[in-house]
Amino acid sequence: MSWIDWLVLIITLLGTLVYGIWKSRGQRNIGDYFLNSGPLPWYIILFSIMATQASAITFLSAPGQAYTDGMRFVQYYFGLPLAMVVLCVTFLPLFHRLKVFTAYEFLETRFDQKTRTLTTILFLLQRGVSTGISVYAPSIILSALLGWNIYWTNIFMGGILIIYTVMGGTKAVAYTQKLQLLIIFAGMFLAGWIVVRLLPPGVSFTDALHVSGKMGKLNVIVTKINITQKSWWQDKYNIWSGTIGGFFLALSYFGTDQSQVGRYLTGRSLKESRIGLLMNGIVKVPMQFLILLIGALLFVFYRFYSAPVFFNDNALAKVYQTSYSGDMHQLSHQYRLLDSVQKKEVYALVNALHRRDPAAEAGAQSALKLTQVRAALVRQQAVGLIKKADSGADTDDTNYIFLHFVRDYLPKGLVGLLIAVIFLATWGSTSATLNSLASATMIDIHMRFFKKNGSPGYNLQASRWWTLFWGMFCIGVAQFAQGLGSLIQAVNILGSLFYGTMLGIFLVAFYGKKIGGTAVFWSAILSELMVIGIYRANLVSFLWLNAAGCLLVIGIAWTFHMGRRLVRYNQ
Amino acid sequence: MHLDQQDPPQSAGYWRTWYLLVIGWLALLIILFDLFTRFFS
Repeated sequence: MSWIDWLVLIITLLGTLVYGIWKSRGQRNIGDYFLNSGPLPWYIILFSIMATQASAITFLSAPGQAYTDGMRFVQYYFGLPLAMVVLCVTFLPLFHRLKVFTAYEFLETRFDQKTRTLTTILFLLQRGVSTGISVYAPSIILSALLGWNIYWTNIFMGGILIIYTVMGGTKAVAYTQKLQLLIIFAGMFLAGWIVVRLLPPGVSFTDALHVSGKMGKLNVIVTKINITQKSWWQDKYNIWSGTIGGFFLALSYFGTDQSQVGRYLTGRSLKESRIGLLMNGIVKVPMQFLILLIGALLFVFYRFYSAPVFFNDNALAKVYQTSYSGDMHQLSHQYRLLDSVQKKEVYALVNALHRRDPAAEAGAQSALKLTQVRAALVRQQAVGLIKKADSGADTDDTNYIFLHFVRDYLPKGLVGLLIAVIFLATWGSTSATLNSLASATMIDIHMRFFKKNGSPGYNLQASRWWTLFWGMFCIGVAQFAQGLGSLIQAVNILGSLFYGTMLGIFLVAFYGKKIGGTAVFWSAILSELMVIGIYRANLVSFLWLNAAGCLLVIGIAWTFHMGRRLVRYNQ
Repeated sequence: MHLDQQDPPQSAGYWRTWYLLVIGWLALLIILFDLFTRFFS
């Protein structure tokens, strides 16, 4: 990176940090720390919700996901607007009426202490681990750019994050998120614009879309339906798993995950919170579409400019230091040769498109696809070498694709801005999450089991200590995050393992008026074990796990309830 | 400060319009995305 990039990076990050701390000065009690002293209007809630969900992973991993697997990932967001509507009708008025700090407080009123504690623990486990993965994402960047050791980078990044959150609390998070999102959108828009601008002369934006589409990267809507086949249930992203599974995932995430509930509970009124959530339902899908589109365009970009055999330079460098160096040189050479073949074929495809010659188009398309298969085989061998050279190496380079482009092709200054964008996204997302982890631990565990009537000063101090604890937990998780593949997928799989059960507990609380705490407690434990079993047996794609967990809790709790009634009746 | 009720309550019709807007928007996006997928494939 040039000194201009460093300057832009440092000014952007320091500016945001100072602004957040200045805005949140004067916190005196736990209410200020977790829920703000000033209620927030809907647009701040919207920014806050969006920035909490959009971590560095979104900007780093999503374009890579589209590059490798096409844009079909966007379907996973189709359930989100529907979930926003259901939330506004059900969860939100209830949380508002009960004036709760955390979503789990409600469960003790409705059921009992053990159900509240179980749900809190499910949340803490799931959110703690996925925040750790989010801490790992920007560490990838620093270690790739500066060649730093990934473990020390995790500690450094996690340390900054802890200071930021402990100093500022929720308000700093909310106010800087507005600024952060503006910088993030500007940065991503510029990156997309530059991808198109750097396309060779004679290749337009529309041409790039056609090429990307013909190579299967613009598969936004996948409608195939064959529920009798096991492979259909295992298909990760189609409109059905996206809308139904995504609906349950979004409903659980926004309705039962304190990192989001804590955001919209800061609304000035029920109306402001509702509008914030509904606007999120309106903007989220187009936003993800545009981020993924960058990846689909990057795919075309790298057909004209040579792509490395593997996007993670550090992993490649390690191979070059071993006895496999010669083999890797040979594979890289083969890959470059195939690259030049692809370049000719993609030009042929663009020319055929210009001439509106369907036969030539089809010919160029199949030739390009064939070369792609050959290139994939070479890449596979290269990945094999990486694994041989270092058995613990991350053999998935999805998260490095966009970063590679930013580093090598963006103009000076903009590289710094884009790196800042990714850091800001991490801070915005993980600091809000750290805050929610601390608030759930403090309110649902600490104040229930350790010290019920602490002074305001004591509670604030203890909340800060819990923030520190969770920060360190996340750093610990980040140290093990290598080798998870596409991080955006990894955090969603993790969420799907727990969210269904959590949602089921809340739905029983809302609608199973006669079902008691013990029934729901044991049904939640059983369902969680079954969801993990289904996942391990690879019976369905992860998005379905949300629906499965939720329905299992409801079904088992209802069966328990009916069974007990029957026993009582017989007595 | 927590959620309060400073705003006057909105009518059921007001929120119904919002909900229809969000669901309608999603339906429109899916139709447009489908056309996009078909056009560029």
